[in-house]
Amino acid sequence: MVAALKNPGMPRAGLGFLIGGLFGFGLVVALRAVSGLEIFQTEATGYPHVIVPGITAPIGFLIGLGCFDYWFRWASGAPTIPDDHSQHGAYSWKDYFKFNTDHKVIGIQYVVTTFCFFMIGGLLAMLMRAELAQPGTQIVDPGVFNSLFSTHAAIMIFLFIVPVFAGLANYVLPLMIGAPDMAFPRLNALSFWMLPMAGVLFMASFLAPGGAFDAGWTGYAPLSTGAPLGQSFFNLGVQFAGASSVATALNFLVTIVTMRAPGMNFWRMPLLVWANLSTSLLVVGATPFIAGAQFMVLMDRAIGTNFFQAAAGGDVISYQHIFWFYSHPAVYIMMLPGFGIVSEVISTHARKTIFGYRLMAIALLGIVILAFAVWAHHMFVSGMFAWLRVPMMITTLLIAVPTGIKIFSWLGTLFDSKLHIESTSMLFALGFLVTFVIGGISGVMLGMIPLDIHVSDTYFVVAHIHFVLFGGSVFTIFCGFYHWFPKMTGRMYDERLGRIHFWMTLVGMLGTFIPMHWIGMEGMPRRVADYAAQFGNWNLVITIFSFILGVAQLIFVYNMVVSWRFGPKAGDNPWRAKTIEWLVSSPPPVFNFDEIPRVVGGPYEFGVPGARHAIMHDGDGATVSGPEPAVAGAASGGGGGEGGGS
Amino acid sequence: MESASIAVGSAHAHEHHGPPEAHSSSKIDRQTLGILLFIVSEAMLFGAFFASYFFLREVSNPTDVWPPDGFELPKAIAGVNTAILISSSFTIHWALEGARKGNREAMKMGLAMTWLLGATFLFIQINEYVHLGFSARDGAFGSIFYGLTGLHGAHVFVGLLLLSFANIRAWRGHFGTKAEDHLGVEVPGIYWHFVDVMWIIVYVTVYIL
Repeated sequence: MVAALKNPGMPRAGLGFLIGGLFGFGLVVALRAVSGLEIFQTEATGYPHVIVPGITAPIGFLIGLGCFDYWFRWASGAPTIPDDHSQHGAYSWKDYFKFNTDHKVIGIQYVVTTFCFFMIGGLLAMLMRAELAQPGTQIVDPGVFNSLFSTHAAIMIFLFIVPVFAGLANYVLPLMIGAPDMAFPRLNALSFWMLPMAGVLFMASFLAPGGAFDAGWTGYAPLSTGAPLGQSFFNLGVQFAGASSVATALNFLVTIVTMRAPGMNFWRMPLLVWANLSTSLLVVGATPFIAGAQFMVLMDRAIGTNFFQAAAGGDVISYQHIFWFYSHPAVYIMMLPGFGIVSEVISTHARKTIFGYRLMAIALLGIVILAFAVWAHHMFVSGMFAWLRVPMMITTLLIAVPTGIKIFSWLGTLFDSKLHIESTSMLFALGFLVTFVIGGISGVMLGMIPLDIHVSDTYFVVAHIHFVLFGGSVFTIFCGFYHWFPKMTGRMYDERLGRIHFWMTLVGMLGTFIPMHWIGMEGMPRRVADYAAQFGNWNLVITIFSFILGVAQLIFVYNMVVSWRFGPKAGDNPWRAKTIEWLVSSPPPVFNFDEIPRVVGGPYEFGVPGARHAIMHDGDGATVSGPEPAVAGAASGGGGGEGGGS
Repeated sequence: MESASIAVGSAHAHEHHGPPEAHSSSKIDRQTLGILLFIVSEAMLFGAFFASYFFLREVSNPTDVWPPDGFELPKAIAGVNTAILISSSFTIHWALEGARKGNREAMKMGLAMTWLLGATFLFIQINEYVHLGFSARDGAFGSIFYGLTGLHGAHVFVGLLLLSFANIRAWRGHFGTKAEDHLGVEVPGIYWHFVDVMWIIVYVTVYIL
């Protein structure tokens, strides 16, 4: 028992959580006693004796878990212990609950954790849909409804979509570029473990007096500065999720720049690597802005500053500018990694090289640059500077150009190819093309000022955001799950269940979100628990389809869990892909490679006779082209196509 | 678990005792690139507060005098403080040169002096807070003044923490002359330069402009 509390691990982390919380509490009590204040603040939003432990308890947890053990040793000047790799790799399920430096373990930790948040966020959404099935209020009262949509969005964005891409990339990116691990493995583990802490904070807000945070995921001031205690948990949770996100992005960038295998120049990198390079640039540049915005809100709430108090000279609109300067790039943070996944999947299953590979990479960088120049299109009706509207409209419409390049490149890749839709991942990739184009077009519509003013704060906006975040991001996430499931687990999922999952998801998704465009156009306001009776029929239809969508995810969970345990062995390269992660065993060895592979060609040269992407072992070059195809069908794809990469 | 056998194992990757050495695909080393990217994100965090500053100054209170009446900033004392912080950039450079050339005394002295100068800066800053006569609750100016200078002070504190580690390790005999052996001096040094440059921007914006 004592040993369990002395060594890094969950018991010590729990103890650390308690000690951290008590320390923070004691600190506030002591400081307030010393400065002659009332020990317990009684103002509505302050609660320093809750907020400070809200910071120190998670930090205590991280220290207890062992995230800082090495660094403490280093800082104290003790001689560093040569790494014995005892914290690397998972040998039993228990290792997934420890501080682990293996990027493959961290990747699975990320994916599983974030998927749990996806289920929680989905349940919140279904509660909302149940309430909205009929006009009037039946299940939850309007206040709780406000909490539901706020926590739903915050959990889905900060704890599912953003980090799940980090998780998928964590697993495959070092393998793809031929690196033995990420550049900073300990930082990588710390980034992951900050995420459950953000989740705990978001969830803890349900226990706060006044209910969970209810100012929307945007947390606009002054709504947020005057909200009850739950809002502070949002402010703090975003800090942990944001720090996690920045640390991971930094890690990806350093890994991609400094740890590529010999021969892997920038124009031979798979597009997933390009996508994560672009995303990480966005995260490093933009995420600090939401940290800043939430710090200011927290200070306005806790210590009475006046950043957003108009009466004292503060500026309410400045919150929206600072917030959207992160949160607009954030939608690309949530989309670009998905572009990377879809590029991998489409190229592999169309058996063709990516049409316009270099332009695909350049389009990603174009989106990164434009992403920083469109934030105020969220604020056309906010009362901001009138002169900023038209420039923002133009940049917003411009961003359709690089995005369009990507869409047409995928279509060009598919054109005249012999499609292999034997995999659910390809179905999701094709579904993504359809739904994302719809979401993209409604995005262009929203970019136009007159239409935006007409549909502001209606269900049209809800429909748009879900077409790009569900039809876009979540489809690519499923696409990635199915594509790399055999690699991660060494087993094959049930294709039939996968197909049922895809079709139910697609039908559920379209049935849920297409009618929202129509009722939005007619003026049904979003974020309200009750609505005019004329929208009743459509809302009932939407609710029914949303439940189909919810049930479909249970099939997915069943398929993944059962296949992970009992699925047939997958083989090393079931999709006959070219990139390096498929040239190692499934699941990959603990240290990825015996020796670093040598890259000799582009990543997508399907159908090019004798083309190779990488040589795994010098000397026995003849046997490296991968094992026998596990899936029937000869590699017949179009030999032509636009060989942009070579 | 014996460290000696591990050291051998990593040299012979085929024994599966450790990962193969990663191929180094860039001239820049990982820690330096890492701290540079971290500094980019830190600069953006300051960017958020500067955005707030200029909004409060130019958009919310465009016609008022700035700082508003009743807010007096000790420009001269803060100027001296600025000089103190800038001089610490030179001492950290001296320490790094010492580490590069194998002059351990110069390295140790440089690190210690940098730490002391940084601590002096922080002390004077806190002293200024105590005697300013307004708090973060006093109007938008009070909020953003404490917001920007406090954010910077927090960075000085973090920089001092990193320098403490470098000091401890220098006194305990770590750090060699090879580039990869004194990253523990170089990386906090880069961060410290950033803290200095950022202070110049904060000082010019908040006190002078």
